[in-house]
Amino acid sequence: MESSLVIENLTAGYGKVPILKKINLSLQKGSICALMGENGSGKTTLIRCINATLKPLRGKVWVKKKALASLNRMEIARLISVVPQATHSAFSFTCMEMILMGAVARMKPWSAPGRKEVAKAMVALEEVGGKKLADRLFNRLSGGERQLVMIARALYQDTPIMLLDEPNTHLDYSNQHSVMELIRRLVKRRNVTALITLHDPNLALFYCDRVAMLKQGEILALGKTKDIMNDGMLRQVLGSNIQCGHTENGVLVVTPRHLGANRVAV
Amino acid sequence: MILIFGCLPVLVLSLSLGRYTIGLTDVTRILLSSLGIKGFYAPPAPELHMIFWNIRVPRVIMAFAVGSGLSIAGTVFQAMFKNPLAAPDILGVTAGSCFGAALAIMFFASTPWAIQGNAFFWGVFAVSMAYLLALKSRDRSASVLVIAGIAVSSVFQAGLSILMYISNPYDQMTKIIFWIMGSFHTACWSKVEVTLPFVLLGSLLLTVFSWRLNVMTQDEEDALCLGMNVSRWRVFYVTTSTLMVASSVAAVGNVAWIGLIIPHIARYLVGSEHRRLVPVTGLVGGIFLLLMDTLARTLLPSEIPISIVTSIVGAPFLGYLVMGNQGVGIGIKSCN
Repeated sequence: MESSLVIENLTAGYGKVPILKKINLSLQKGSICALMGENGSGKTTLIRCINATLKPLRGKVWVKKKALASLNRMEIARLISVVPQATHSAFSFTCMEMILMGAVARMKPWSAPGRKEVAKAMVALEEVGGKKLADRLFNRLSGGERQLVMIARALYQDTPIMLLDEPNTHLDYSNQHSVMELIRRLVKRRNVTALITLHDPNLALFYCDRVAMLKQGEILALGKTKDIMNDGMLRQVLGSNIQCGHTENGVLVVTPRHLGANRVAV
Repeated sequence: MILIFGCLPVLVLSLSLGRYTIGLTDVTRILLSSLGIKGFYAPPAPELHMIFWNIRVPRVIMAFAVGSGLSIAGTVFQAMFKNPLAAPDILGVTAGSCFGAALAIMFFASTPWAIQGNAFFWGVFAVSMAYLLALKSRDRSASVLVIAGIAVSSVFQAGLSILMYISNPYDQMTKIIFWIMGSFHTACWSKVEVTLPFVLLGSLLLTVFSWRLNVMTQDEEDALCLGMNVSRWRVFYVTTSTLMVASSVAAVGNVAWIGLIIPHIARYLVGSEHRRLVPVTGLVGGIFLLLMDTLARTLLPSEIPISIVTSIVGAPFLGYLVMGNQGVGIGIKSCN
């Protein structure tokens, strides 16, 4: 398998205290990799190193065999797109206007996206199933719809690598699953590489090919989801109160081990 | 298009009205005779001709140019700082200019040139100070720049207070106060020659590079990831707008509210997309200030300082817009 993103011996942090220590990681084309770990384990720091908004203290990030540190912002934006957590815009843009911002990296400084680009952005919006959102105001959408628009913008940016930083944070249960399903479908169809930070191990289990487990700034395990997701590993990374089990229909799920004395009897 | 035709009546009205009212027929006559068309009408009186070309016309041009410049600068600053309440003087340009003008009035010959030059220099100097101060911080975000601007502004405001405190209250202080409140009554061709090029060039540049302002309104990290070199573009936008504002304030003094309120009105008309918003803001700002200046010189027997007029008309209007739309349509943050 071809590696499109390679992280080599990466140490990074804010000030002098390293948050990430000697991270080695490589991501394969056409696959979706989950990045899991507790709060403060360094997930966001790692994402920020990969999108080059944080300069690592040591180590290198290679994207398609090019050193990230040697690229400028426009070159990086042609290789890596980022889907932020469902955001709020300070000004009321329509969804189409929001998506068109994904063209910055391809545009000359003085030019602006024309009719051709609008058509292309429409294709991206259709791909996420949000065709009817085009002329609506972004700030008036629900959290789930906004997340769709942000995904469409990353698609329209048209990069071989997509980073998604907790794209499910503000979404309800069914939206979490439909967004994950959408991301998986897009990654497979476009044959891009996706790295996604998640808190819910079940989402990683259902939708991700591979999992990287991060604990206190170090990668504890990296591999195929079904190899990594076992009781021992989950307890090491996410705390002791966790276990794997099977539902009546034989689906592997992750649940808490102890529910406490005060739980509702079912 | 409607806007362009909308300015025509305002233009004619403000050419006609004033301390010395020039009737509409006279305006037509003067225009026709200046174009070299003669014959079928009585030639206008020479003194009317003089008032029209040397007082009325430069004044109208100044009001329109200053209105456009301040409004476009306001739009740019609001986009850059992701804050609909930002005004073009947030980085200290107005405070610096007022200080500079007071300095000139007190210590240099208070010729129009000395005042204008000083005001321009100190306005630009204040913004540069704010910028250098922000560069000292490790944090490269826009909010650091705002805080630096507030700091620099208050230093120059304090400087202005000191100057006013030690000034001669019968002569210099009145002059300073009137300068700060702003007026177009001193408008003349030499002022137009200084201000107009800055405003024209600035508006042109900012219109050409307007689409990227959309991206500047996004979260800083998101904008970077979209491929925008945020800090470099910020230098461009701050420099261009500051030159426009400094050249305007230096010529006519402080004009309150325009830079804050006009972008909201324009956003209400055409939405937040900056490719449409920037030119529309320029037109609306120009028309609005022209109208306000016409009021300033016709409402009372003596001229009213322009800031008083713009504040009295502008503030309630902004309030009405915010209340009437729950803030959403004009782009103030909506709470879902």
